Amino acid sequence: MDIIAQLVVSGISVGMIYSVVAFGYQLTFATSNTLNFGQGEALMLGSLVGFSVVTRLIAAHFGAGTAYAIMLPIVLIVGAAQGILVEWIAVRRGARSRSSVTWILATIALGIILRNIAENVWGRDPMKFPSPVSEQPLIFGSVRVQPMEILIVIGALALMLAVELFNRRSIYGKAFVATSIDRSAAELVGISTTRVISMSYALSSLSAAFAGVLIAPVTLTGAGIGLALGLKGFAVGIIGGLSSGLGVIAGGLILGIAETLTGYYISSGYKDVPGLVMLLLVLSFRPFGLFGKASIRKV
Amino acid sequence: MINRRLFLSVLLATPIALDMAHAADPIKIGLSGPFTGGSAAMGISMRDGVRLAVNEINAAGGILGRSVQLVERDDEAKNEMGVQVAQELINKEEVVATLGFANTGVALAALRFYQEAEIPVIINVATGTAVTANAPSPSYIFRTSASDSLQTQMIAKEVAEVRHFTKAAIFADSTNYGQLGKEDMLKALDKYGLKPVVVEKFNIGDTDMTAQILHAKEANAEVLITFGIGPELAQVANGMNKLNWKVPFIGSWSLSMGSFIDAAGANANGAIMPQTFIQESSTPKRKNFIEAYQKKYSVDRIPSPVSAAQGYDSVYLLAAAIEQAGETDGPDVRKALESLNKKVEGVVTDYDKPFSATDHEAIDASVPLMGKVENGRVVSATQ
Repeated sequence: MDIIAQLVVSGISVGMIYSVVAFGYQLTFATSNTLNFGQGEALMLGSLVGFSVVTRLIAAHFGAGTAYAIMLPIVLIVGAAQGILVEWIAVRRGARSRSSVTWILATIALGIILRNIAENVWGRDPMKFPSPVSEQPLIFGSVRVQPMEILIVIGALALMLAVELFNRRSIYGKAFVATSIDRSAAELVGISTTRVISMSYALSSLSAAFAGVLIAPVTLTGAGIGLALGLKGFAVGIIGGLSSGLGVIAGGLILGIAETLTGYYISSGYKDVPGLVMLLLVLSFRPFGLFGKASIRKV
Repeated sequence: MINRRLFLSVLLATPIALDMAHAADPIKIGLSGPFTGGSAAMGISMRDGVRLAVNEINAAGGILGRSVQLVERDDEAKNEMGVQVAQELINKEEVVATLGFANTGVALAALRFYQEAEIPVIINVATGTAVTANAPSPSYIFRTSASDSLQTQMIAKEVAEVRHFTKAAIFADSTNYGQLGKEDMLKALDKYGLKPVVVEKFNIGDTDMTAQILHAKEANAEVLITFGIGPELAQVANGMNKLNWKVPFIGSWSLSMGSFIDAAGANANGAIMPQTFIQESSTPKRKNFIEAYQKKYSVDRIPSPVSAAQGYDSVYLLAAAIEQAGETDGPDVRKALESLNKKVEGVVTDYDKPFSATDHEAIDASVPLMGKVENGRVVSATQ
């Protein structure tokens, strides 16, 4: 029982990272029916930029926690900028055409370019990200959790909540929701849908960058972390449903916990299997996701 | 009279001078190692140790009066890159010998090209036993690092004889190095009648070791034996601290890698591993080597002291063989290596007939000792 509790808790923090990445996919899909397949690289860039900023601040004698707090807005801005760039280069031209291939390939290509740039700037070695909180685990009964893992869950939920509030309360948020419901109608009432789509890409990469600095103190950071996380985030997005906010949280938790349980009970070599198996099952039986709504295309 | 003599001597000297100009072609030696990626600490330290030795040799006049030119290639710790590098060094660059290889898998993939081309290779970091053991005779593969069969015997002795443990857990990575090392470890433990209580695997790039550690904890393992490289081993140490599994951490020599010590921080203290070389100025030769390295590369702690020292020594062994053979032809250099008649003073040890026709391992059981991680550095464990 203790073991299961420990595995579930480990799975939750990993799962929340997948949820945040999936959330990013969802944001752009809602407004433009496109996805940024370089999402994993946005996460990687966020964590590496955060690493550079934090290590420089620590070298200037700031405390690890203060350095982290100062670094956060910088990383969020960099993430947003990267999102706007991706949308402008890769998606804008391709989104208008019938075929999805253009923006799929373009965002993948941009992701690869970004990874190569990162490898040249930061090298290919994994590096240790200084943790803003103590690394000694907190003990709850028989379960041991690192403070950073709790911070990951809080941070992820806070981000998704913030975006939700933004959507409901601010006028820009309402424009966002309007565009996602019906793009032509939104154009008709004077909303600049191009700007809304740009903004959704900015928010999407911002979320990924935020996820990057959340997870970096727990795992090691490096130019290669984006690939696996981007892929699993995508799987969570599909599993949970690209139109449902709660869906990605549920999907992320399911995947995270399934991974840690598989790793223990079956074999650590098979850890990546449950995510992919679930993806296949969901695509076969409920392609709009466990929590998504079936979309009816009127002819 | 004088004019004619002068004229004749100039005439006679010219072809000799021309001949010497031709013979001043540099001797090309290949260097294959991982200079990027998780193994980079080993590759870079090895390369820097080799460069130090080559500079010293060139400053002293080179080998056979010719300067040494290093042809360096990054094999990225990937087997297929190692093959590509080997083919380029042999066919395009036409090296007379190659030094290097930090990764067992890369070595296993690339060595047959050297063997076919009859070009000697001195492996100075990779430790997989199969690398030299499986070579056909006459073998062109030599080694100055401590083989895994030797290391596993030392680890098994430490576990069974010195500390009297009966329940060991083995964590090995999924590369050739990890899995072959695990096999060697099983054999070594078997000699003491011991079987490990758990054997776990992890991949390069894995960061979460919770499942493996929980398995070992459940099985009441008394000691953890590891076969992997720095970043993943650091995650194991960090995971052990997080899950409160505090047992002695003994592993292969890769626990001395800077990437392990830095990423694990305080959790690395107490880790024990066999070492051929510890960064301590215990002899004048070692002191000079360490100081020269620190000065040239502006570091205090050598990222992988073992790799640097073994790399340095491999150059001197090769140089001695080429001098003895009198030329750079592969088969002759090989025969010279197998029967070195001069003692070579190295940083790891002094080499007195280190190789023979049947034994291509320079390091035997008398050389390595156990090192221990303490506060960011590796020190001797028997202090």
